[in-house]
Amino acid sequence: MKEVPVKIEFNKEWIVTKISVGEDRMVLPAPINKEILYKSVLDVSEKKNILIITVKTDTEVVYKILSVEKVLHFLKIHILPVCNAYRLMAYFMSPAIRGGVMIKEASWEKGSVVVVKSGIWFVGAVKQISVPITEVAAIELTKREVQGKPTEVIRIDYLDSGEVVSSLVLCPLSTLQVLYNFLKETTKGMDMKGTELDAVDQQVAMLVYSGMDSHAIENMLNLPHKQLDQIYDKILALGLAEVVIIRREIQLTPKGVRYITDSTKSQTN
Amino acid sequence: MGKILIVDDTLFMRTLIKNILFTGGHSIAGEAGDGEEAIAKYKELKPDLVTMDIVMPKMNGIEALKGIKAIDPAAKIIMCTAVGQEQMVKLAIKSGAKGYIVKPFQAPKVLEEVKNVLAS
Repeated sequence: MKEVPVKIEFNKEWIVTKISVGEDRMVLPAPINKEILYKSVLDVSEKKNILIITVKTDTEVVYKILSVEKVLHFLKIHILPVCNAYRLMAYFMSPAIRGGVMIKEASWEKGSVVVVKSGIWFVGAVKQISVPITEVAAIELTKREVQGKPTEVIRIDYLDSGEVVSSLVLCPLSTLQVLYNFLKETTKGMDMKGTELDAVDQQVAMLVYSGMDSHAIENMLNLPHKQLDQIYDKILALGLAEVVIIRREIQLTPKGVRYITDSTKSQTN
Repeated sequence: MGKILIVDDTLFMRTLIKNILFTGGHSIAGEAGDGEEAIAKYKELKPDLVTMDIVMPKMNGIEALKGIKAIDPAAKIIMCTAVGQEQMVKLAIKSGAKGYIVKPFQAPKVLEEVKNVLAS
C-alpha cells in the first residue's frame, strides 16, 4: 500500500492525515479508522480539488477527500476502474468544443466511460474528467468523421465553470445505444417540446447564452425594458435560467434634486 | 486589436458577433451577407480577420474562404459552423481556415480564438 497526504472531512472539520492506497482498497487512519473496498464505492464526484466518495456498507457514508491534483489523480485511477458503476470501454474526446470554440489539439483518447449515481466519468491514462448529471445540458447521437469515415458518436454538452463544453464518446454501436438511452433517461427531466419560446424569446435566450447583458440585449433587439423583463420571466419560469443580478432604476427625492441643483450651481459659478 | 469583417447571412448573428467583438475592443471593418459579397468586401476593406459563416446563399463560406485565400494567401479567417456541421471543418482546414467556432458560442471563448488567430 502507498501512503498519500490528504485532508478528510470528519465531524465537519478537515483532518490532515495520510491514507493508505492499495489495489482494491484504501485505509483511512484514526480517528476515522475505516477500510474502504473500492467495489463498495457507489458514487464518485469531484468539486475543484475535493473528491467526494459515497460508500455503501450497512448505510451510505460520504467521504470528502481534499488534496493536490497529483494525489487525487492517484486515487481516481485506483477507485474508478473498480467502483460499483456502469462501465464501458470507449474512446472519448473531452473537451472537443469549449464555449463554441473547437479545441484544435483535441484527440480521441482510449479509456473507459464510467457512469456513477451523480454523473459520468471519462477515464483515461492521463486524465479523468467528471461530468455531473446536474450539469448536462444536452445528449445527442450524432456522426463524426473518424479515420475518414462518418461514425456514430454521442455528444454530451455540459456546463463547466459557466462554460459550455462538448465531449464525444465513441464505442461499438450497440453499446453506444445503451449508453445514450441511459443518459437520456437520467436527464429526462430536462427534455422540452421546443415550442415553449417564440422567435424573440429564443433570440433573447441565445444572447444570454453568448454572455450579453440586459443592456446589450435591449439595444441589439430594440426591445423596451418591460418587454425584456417579461421574456426573462418566461425563461425563468421554464427553469431555463437563473437570476444573477437585479438591476435597479431609481428616481431622485427632493433632497436628491436639491443636491444636484446645488452642485450644478457650484460648478457654473 | 483588429479590424474585422463579419460574414453571415443572418442579421441577428452579425449583430451578436459585432457586439462580442466590440466588447473585446476590436473594430468592425464591415459586414457581408453572402460569400460573393464577402470576397468583394475583403478586396475593398483589407480586414485583419474575417469571421465566416459556412451555410449561406449564393456562395457558401468554404467557397468564399477559397476565393479570399486566392486573393490573399495570408488572410486570417475563422469559420462559424452550426452544431452538427463539424465535418465541414476538415474541408475548411484544407482550404486554409485559421480557427473554428461552433454556434451557439460564448463571448469570452470567441474573443480568445480571435486573439489567437490575430496573433498567429
